Amino acid sequence: MKAVTANRLIDGEVVFWKDGAWVDGFGDAQLFDDEQGEQVEAAVAAGKAAPTVIVDPYPIDLITVEGLGLAPVSYRERIRALGPTNELLHGKQAEGGAVVEAIRHASGAARSTGRVDLIRRK
Amino acid sequence: MYQYDVIDREFLTDRSNEFRHQVTRRLAGELTEDQFKPLRLMNGLYLQLHAYMLRVAIPYGSLNSRQARRLAWVARTYDKGYGHMTTRQNIQFNWIKLKDAPDILDALAEVDLHAIQTSGNCIRNTTADPYAGATAEEIDDPRVWSEVIRQWSTLHPEFSYLPRKFKIAITGALTDRAAVKVHDIGLILRRARDGSLGFEVIVGGGQGRTPYVGPTIKQHLPASSLLSYLEAVLRVYNRHGRRDNIYKARIKILVAALGADEFGRQVEEEWAKIDQGRADLGDLELARIRGAFAQTPFEALPARSEAFEAAKAASPALARFARNNVKAHKKPGYAIVEVSLKAVGQTPGDATADQLDVAADLAERYSLDDLRVTHAQNLVLPHVKLDDLPAVHAALEAAGLATPNIDLISDIIACPGLDYCALANARAIPIAQDIAKTFADPDRAEKIGELKIKISGCINACGHHHVAHIGILGVDKKGEEFYQLSLGGSGAEDASIGKILGPALAADRVAPAIDTLVDTYLAARQGEERFLDTYRRVGLEPFKEAVYAQAD
Amino acid sequence: MPKLIKLAGPTGEQAAQWAENTFVHVADEDAIPEAGDVILSLARFQAEGDTLLSSNSRRVGVRIEPAEEVEALAYDLPRLSVVALAFPKYRDGRAYTSARLLRERLKYEGEVRAVGDVLQEQAGFMVRCGFDAFEPNDGATPEAWTKAANRFRHVYQRAVDARPIAADERAQAQAKEGAL
Repeated sequence: MKAVTANRLIDGEVVFWKDGAWVDGFGDAQLFDDEQGEQVEAAVAAGKAAPTVIVDPYPIDLITVEGLGLAPVSYRERIRALGPTNELLHGKQAEGGAVVEAIRHASGAARSTGRVDLIRRK
Repeated sequence: MYQYDVIDREFLTDRSNEFRHQVTRRLAGELTEDQFKPLRLMNGLYLQLHAYMLRVAIPYGSLNSRQARRLAWVARTYDKGYGHMTTRQNIQFNWIKLKDAPDILDALAEVDLHAIQTSGNCIRNTTADPYAGATAEEIDDPRVWSEVIRQWSTLHPEFSYLPRKFKIAITGALTDRAAVKVHDIGLILRRARDGSLGFEVIVGGGQGRTPYVGPTIKQHLPASSLLSYLEAVLRVYNRHGRRDNIYKARIKILVAALGADEFGRQVEEEWAKIDQGRADLGDLELARIRGAFAQTPFEALPARSEAFEAAKAASPALARFARNNVKAHKKPGYAIVEVSLKAVGQTPGDATADQLDVAADLAERYSLDDLRVTHAQNLVLPHVKLDDLPAVHAALEAAGLATPNIDLISDIIACPGLDYCALANARAIPIAQDIAKTFADPDRAEKIGELKIKISGCINACGHHHVAHIGILGVDKKGEEFYQLSLGGSGAEDASIGKILGPALAADRVAPAIDTLVDTYLAARQGEERFLDTYRRVGLEPFKEAVYAQAD
Repeated sequence: MPKLIKLAGPTGEQAAQWAENTFVHVADEDAIPEAGDVILSLARFQAEGDTLLSSNSRRVGVRIEPAEEVEALAYDLPRLSVVALAFPKYRDGRAYTSARLLRERLKYEGEVRAVGDVLQEQAGFMVRCGFDAFEPNDGATPEAWTKAANRFRHVYQRAVDARPIAADERAQAQAKEGAL
């Protein structure tokens, strides 16, 4: 499974693509299965075509967390979807709930697909 | 302390207006992200994992109480109530919105603070000894020269699009608290035999993926020629530094490629062609800047404070604080007080808005309205009367700021790491917290003595891991956070680059490995040796054996 | 032909205006036109400049790439109407040094033109380093250019322009105060 993510220009908030719009919560993200590569590309292209709304859209890989739901594969993306791990009330995780629990439990199950371009500042 | 005048203030207003205009144009689509990015970076604004991060400069690490309170206000109003001290005397706010950034810069400009050139391929905030003006070992006040450089480098028309970022650090003392040997330019104030003031000029030190202890290219640069000489160094770099490969673009690569002698020769050749009368600052302006720092109103006090001695005898906590966090001052009856931002379990270098307010109050009431930040991510009250130490300690304790661990094992430097930073490969903060918890016993920490642990979440080395007694580098190993340990680095006057201990360790094995390293050190220690001294005497092997034997 | 913005007065007076661009940038692979003003690469100029300058009355300029040193033109400068300093990317800051050296060290008084990725955000830096002509790459108007170049009321370091630096302003203010 995949989702498409970006940061919103005006406030930097992490957002996810959902049916033609950008939403705040990972739990609301539109999910694409492996057959839907073209739709993923279309979502990324739509993001790139809206440079005054979002910055730098890209697809992320998801995995199923046994019995809990979906989570981003890479821990970088999990931290983006949750918030920092040193301040558990900051960022999206503050809301709590099943989506947050699923991502938290994905810890350790990852294979990185996060970005690793080291110096290119966003 | 230096006071901004109408010129400095109008400059900040103009800068703030310029940035507001640029943000407006970006939001309107008149600037692309690629065009806008360097403009916001030159105003310290990054786009990180969760939000924008604003890096505000604290020139030469010095704040007055009004400035510290304004930083607290920014943290409260525009962030989530805290700020993070960096390893280069800046403060970072992690939760900034682009649309608020111009207002924040206006609010900062009102108290003579700014974010100019805290990022970008330009001359960054010049850092200095946080004990400047307070330590007896000082040959000359590095703040004077940092201020000279601050002005000269601000929107420098020729040097704002260098091959890469450019960092200068200055110390006026023999004890190096500014890491001058691992900067693009490090300046050490020296007096020549004839008494004349000058700089030892070190060029091409640095960390990142290619760490170097910088070589000295000039033993004694007459102090009044500083700006013309810097112009020569920067010009040689601007013309000849590599621009084809971002990883090889820092001046250290040019210096290493040419050799320090040849690089120094090219600088001398360029310097000889510069009209020094135009390039160097006149005596009048230099005297004005010097005067601003010279007027610290110290009182004549006895060297010993009976009140302090009595309080210390009565309070083991104060005595411990005095042993670890209170340093000698140049004036009798005064002390330098280090305020640790490394309480066990806390994020290294983070201060809440309330803590910043407390620090501001203490600075105003007890430290001649002067508060410093250190590259080790702590605060300093530079001018506290010995008589006032019990009250200062009590106030710090009430605010959770009295952790007595300066330069001890839990005084850990850590970058924000993957919890915040878009560049990081692994988290740094939880590792620091783990280690601090492992060594939470203050008696044991004091027994271990000076031990500098520094953690970076990626090879860019903002956490200074190369120059740590024990360095920790976060790496991404097949999608897991792993940590590579190195030993024997130092960022001080005995600068050296650490050596990698062995294969990277999983996160949960880092604190136990540090424990093993410490045990190995204590077993091998002779006399009062620091960890670093023992390491330098016995070498890497015993440590390596101890850590990796355990794994087999 | 790219639009050209020029400073109205000598360097230091920063009001900018549209100017007629009579120069053609001649790529190395193209033939030099029969007549008219041309800007050539350094290599082409070194090979063909003498002939061009002596054979007719047209004006000649040279385009200097960032990796090329302006010192190579030292003896030719009096004959050159334009030195065009290239910004292949606006982030390549070598041309700022080249401009300063042309003005301050080589005492060149002809036109120093910024070409390539030339953006109004850099107008202030360019003017201070001695550029007096610009082929903007971002559609900037002379009004926008003038505004951008004059955004800061104060400067802190001496450059090519004659602007008093902060230290001069302070000394002046102090002298005035002393006189009162």
